[in-house]
Amino acid sequence: MIKAGQIDKGTALLIKGQPFVCIEREFVNPGKGSAFVRLKLKSPSTGQVLAETMKSQDNAEDITVEDKDLQYLYNDGENFYFQNTETFDQIDVPMKSFTDYEYFMKEGETYRATFWEDQVLDIIIPSKIVFTVAEAEEAVKGDTVQGATKYVTTETGLRVRVPIFIKQGEKIRVNTETKEYLERVNS
Amino acid sequence: MYNFRFQRLKSEMLMNIREYFIGKEYLEVSTPTLSPYLIPEPTIKTFRTEFINPFMEKSSLFMIPSPEIFMKRLLAAGSGSIFQISQCFRNSEQLGEIHNPEFTMLEYYTVGADEKDSIGITHEMIEKAIPSSLCEEWMHKEPLVITMHEAMLRSCGVDMDKAEDTEYLRKEAERLSLQYDENESWDDTFNRIFITYAEPWLPKNREVYLTDYPDKIRCLAKRYSDKPCRRRWEMYINGIEIANCYDEETDKNETEAYFREEQEILEKERESTGDEISPSDPEFSFLEIPQSSGGAMGLDRLLAAALGLDTIEPLLLFPLSDMLRSVKANLSNQR
Repeated sequence: MIKAGQIDKGTALLIKGQPFVCIEREFVNPGKGSAFVRLKLKSPSTGQVLAETMKSQDNAEDITVEDKDLQYLYNDGENFYFQNTETFDQIDVPMKSFTDYEYFMKEGETYRATFWEDQVLDIIIPSKIVFTVAEAEEAVKGDTVQGATKYVTTETGLRVRVPIFIKQGEKIRVNTETKEYLERVNS
Repeated sequence: MYNFRFQRLKSEMLMNIREYFIGKEYLEVSTPTLSPYLIPEPTIKTFRTEFINPFMEKSSLFMIPSPEIFMKRLLAAGSGSIFQISQCFRNSEQLGEIHNPEFTMLEYYTVGADEKDSIGITHEMIEKAIPSSLCEEWMHKEPLVITMHEAMLRSCGVDMDKAEDTEYLRKEAERLSLQYDENESWDDTFNRIFITYAEPWLPKNREVYLTDYPDKIRCLAKRYSDKPCRRRWEMYINGIEIANCYDEETDKNETEAYFREEQEILEKERESTGDEISPSDPEFSFLEIPQSSGGAMGLDRLLAAALGLDTIEPLLLFPLSDMLRSVKANLSNQR
């Protein structure tokens, strides 16, 4: 058990027997009222987001989680499939709980995942990832204005705005939080 | 590091506020920040310190959570309308974002006015206070005045006319998938619903005056005679609570009952936590407070709103969170 006031972003909790991960936390002291925390909790199995308001002194059931390395294999539109790099067990994770994660999942790459018992609660996406440009628009002829940009698509399907000199087959580093181009990577 | 631009804007804002109130013939007052007694407020945790003197016994002193206790004495003594800009202290609140345990508060009492008059006064004062170089969308919109009844009904369908009944309120909490504790007070269940649904629902981008708070939330604001509400409002900008205001209680019996009952709650809490609590001001209940409306405003929050920020931290030259972090870092380096 932990006090609700100690819950932080990323804390895993058990609510009515189901695991949830805190994605937002805000302290609220209403005028003439006790101290509360306003929480947004996400279910890793269904993607459902729960709004919960607890008094700072309320008890919450926290759960012990464990981080493991998983190698990404593929997805079939419904699940991501991973392999545990130690046990070689195959693990499937419902895609609906991890919206847009497919754009950052590269086949064969290793990702750190947070587990509670056999269930994946969170997948940690590195802050920067190197992608290969799968498709690139042709730069418009004569468009030599400095700072001119165009769109490319990575091997994972992510559309990124890049400088016009980036060509198909080249490697680029992307900020995964903002989905912005950072630099060209020389292979 | 230090943001001197923000500091200059804060200085300009403080000067504008002084000009506004002095122009309206309010008296600016300076009252203590250290006090041997406080108004009993079980929901506020205070800072305690100790007075030491070689010729006297030690005595506990408390950092004031608001200057109300002293300003009301001045009102009762015939000061007329007064205001004060002072540092106030609240313990055990969040560190960072819109909280700092020490903060700058404006407290203003208008004699002969009620809380409705204070809406006009507050809006006009804000218009004068904000430095002219700042321009946020909310400053160009008419303030919205909305009752708690309407906010609760429209945000989550809770009917405040029925909500005095604890059973009804708890059923509504269940309907809204909120958990509550069987032993908790009416206030706590109400606040769970209010914080989860009504407060986030309040319109952004304008001054919102949320009025007519439930009677059951005890405070020193007058009751309405025709509905279970108190003459109290809280003002929000961009979803952040900036100010509050009462039509101040003038009935000594009501004040005496409030002090007695709130002090009892504090005593009970002390039994379970062992924390020392502040004695309540022995003379407060006997004060002849004239008809007046009192407002309190967090000035760092107001300036943050005027800058379009959702945190006060860049406005503080020395946020406590930073100071504590560097103390911790030094300690771990020494180890």
